[in-house]
Amino acid sequence: MAASVLQRCLGAVKVIHKCGTYSFIDRRCLLSAAYTDTKLWEEREKDHQNLSLMAALMDRIYDRNFPVSSLTISRFVDNISSREEVDQAEYYLYKFRHSPNCWYLRDWTVHSWVRQCLRYGARDKALHTLKNKVQYGMFPDDFTFNLLIDSFIKNEDFKGACSVVEEVMLQESFNLLTTQILSMYALSSYLATKPELSVSEQRTLGAALLICGLKQDNSTGLSAQLLGCALLGKVEMAAGIHAVFRGMPLMWTPGYLGRALAIMERVAATPGDSKLSKDAVDYLEGLLQDLSSALDSKSSSGEDELGGEEEGKKEEDEDDQAEREKLPLYASRFKELSGQLQSGGKVDPSPLQVLVSSLVQQGLASAEGPDMEQYQRKVGEWEAERQQLIRREKEMRERAEEERQARQAAKAAAQ
Amino acid sequence: MVKKKRIRLIAEMARKIRAYRELKNRPRESEKYALDYDTMTRPHTRKTLPVLAWQDVRRESRLFSLLSGLRMFGVGHLFTRKSWLTEHPEAPSYWQVTKVKVDYTAENMDHGRAWGVLTYKGKQESEPKEMDKVMYHDWRLVPKHEEEQFKLYNPVPEPPIRYVSYPPLLRAMLLAQRQKDELGSAAEEPTLPLKRDVLLSKEYFRSQEKKRERQEGTAV
Repeated sequence: MAASVLQRCLGAVKVIHKCGTYSFIDRRCLLSAAYTDTKLWEEREKDHQNLSLMAALMDRIYDRNFPVSSLTISRFVDNISSREEVDQAEYYLYKFRHSPNCWYLRDWTVHSWVRQCLRYGARDKALHTLKNKVQYGMFPDDFTFNLLIDSFIKNEDFKGACSVVEEVMLQESFNLLTTQILSMYALSSYLATKPELSVSEQRTLGAALLICGLKQDNSTGLSAQLLGCALLGKVEMAAGIHAVFRGMPLMWTPGYLGRALAIMERVAATPGDSKLSKDAVDYLEGLLQDLSSALDSKSSSGEDELGGEEEGKKEEDEDDQAEREKLPLYASRFKELSGQLQSGGKVDPSPLQVLVSSLVQQGLASAEGPDMEQYQRKVGEWEAERQQLIRREKEMRERAEEERQARQAAKAAAQ
Repeated sequence: MVKKKRIRLIAEMARKIRAYRELKNRPRESEKYALDYDTMTRPHTRKTLPVLAWQDVRRESRLFSLLSGLRMFGVGHLFTRKSWLTEHPEAPSYWQVTKVKVDYTAENMDHGRAWGVLTYKGKQESEPKEMDKVMYHDWRLVPKHEEEQFKLYNPVPEPPIRYVSYPPLLRAMLLAQRQKDELGSAAEEPTLPLKRDVLLSKEYFRSQEKKRERQEGTAV
C-alpha cells in the first residue's frame, strides 16, 4: 500500500529511485513494483462496450461466415470484468484463431489478455492458453512473458514458472536481460526442489537451460549450458537424437554429451574468471556413471535375448548406436577434464541457485530501466494503432451508411 | 451459309453456377493433405504413402506443424529439409519464410501455403517463390543460435566451361553457311560448349502455360 503510494508520487520511470524502493519490497518477488505496475496500462483510453452485445455480434458474424476484425476481439478482451468473462473470452480467442483473420491478432490484445487473467486470478487459465498457443494464437512479447514468470515466482509455483520458461524457449525470445535472469531463477529454483523428472520434462528443462545459458557469458550461463547439455545427452542416450530435437529449436547433430564436455574444456582452457558450478559437474559425473553401469548390465544380460529383440534393435539408428559406443570415451575424457578444472580452480562450490541469486542482485534492477522505457514506447504505438483502427472502422461504417441511403433513394426514385 | 449457332443462355448460367460452386466447395489443404498415421493413407484420395517414407513420416514433421507454434507463423526463420541434409551435407540449403497463408479450417493450423527465399547449395536466389513440398514430413527448424554456423559456406569455384569442336560434317555445313552469309572464313572456329544452357526449362514451360491461360481464360 505504502509502496504503491510511493510509486504514484515518484512517477513513471526513474531508475535511481527504483533501487531505493527495491529494498522495501518483499524479497520473494523479483521484479520491482514499478515494473509490474498496472498504472501505465490503465491510463489508456477506455473503450467501454457491453460484453454480451459484443458476444452476440461476434456470434452473428461467425454464423454468416464473415471475418471478425481484430479490433472487435481486442475490445472484448479489454472489457473483461469478472472471472466468468475470462472463460468466455477464451472461447472467442479460440474462434478468432480459427478464422481467416488469425494473422491479425494484435500484440496488445495478447498483453491485455495476460493482464486481465492475472488481475482476476486466472493464472492457470493464462498458462493453459499459453501451453496451447497453437489453438489460441497466444504469442506474448518479452515484457508480457516477464510479467507472467514474475507472478508465478511470487506465488512460489516454480513448476508453472518453468512451463512459462519452456514457452519462452520455444519462441527463442531470451533477448532481454530481465527475461534471462527471471528464467534462470525459475529453472534453478525448480531444480533445487529435486523433482522427479520424466523424459519430456528433462528434455524441456535441458533445452531451456541450454538456450538461456547461451545468451549469458558468465559462470551462471556456462553452468546452465553444461547442465542443459547433460540433460539432453541423457535423453539422447535413452531415446535417440530424434526424440531430442523434435519440436524444439535444437540442433540435430547427435552428441550432446560431447558438447557438454566441450564446454568443460573451453572453461578449463580460457584464463578468465568464469567458473562452473559444482552441482552441474557432479550431475554430469553421476549421469555418466549411471549410463555406463546401465550399458554394462544391459550387454551382460542381453546376450541371451538377442534373438527376439533383433528386429526391435534394427530400427535404432546407426547414429544412436555410435553414441552409445562413445560412452566409455566420454567417461574417461570427463575424468581428465574435471581434474583439469579442479586444479585450475574453475569449479565454484556454490550451487546454481546461489549463483543465480547473486546475478539477480547485481543485474536485475539496472536491466529493468530500459525495459520500462521500451514498454512505454510500445504502449504509445499500440494506442496510436488502436485509434487508427477505430477511426477506420467509423469511416467504413459511415461510407456503408451513405451507400445504403443512396441505394434506398435510388429505389424510391425508381418506383 | 453456316447455320446460326443457338445461344444457350441457361446452359451458360448453369456452367457459371457450377464453376462458382466448385470454387466455394474446393477441398482445403487440411482436407487434401490429412493423413491417417496408422494406415499411412490420405483419406481424401485414399492413396497410401510410399513405404520408404513411413519412417520419416513418423519421426519428422510437416512445415506448418513447425510454423503453427512460432510467433507470426515463423516469418523470418530458416527451415531445412532432412532430405537436403542427407543429400548434400556440406552445402547448406534452406528456405527463409517471407509470407504465410494458413488454412484456418485445420484444427491445429497445420496446413497452408508459404512463400520464401530459397538458398540451395549455398546459392541464394533473388526473389521469394512459393515453397513446394510443404506438406512433406521432412522439415526442420534451424535454431537461432545455430543460424550463423549453419549458413557458413565456402563455395568450391566451378571449373571454367570447356569447348569442343563440332563433328566434321556439321562443321563443314556451318562454315559453308557462313561463307554464303559473306562473313568470310576469317571468323573463328565454331565450338560446342560442354555445359548446356537450358533454354527449355521447367520455368520456361510454366511461364508459357500461364501466358496461354491468360489469353484463353480459364474454363468457364
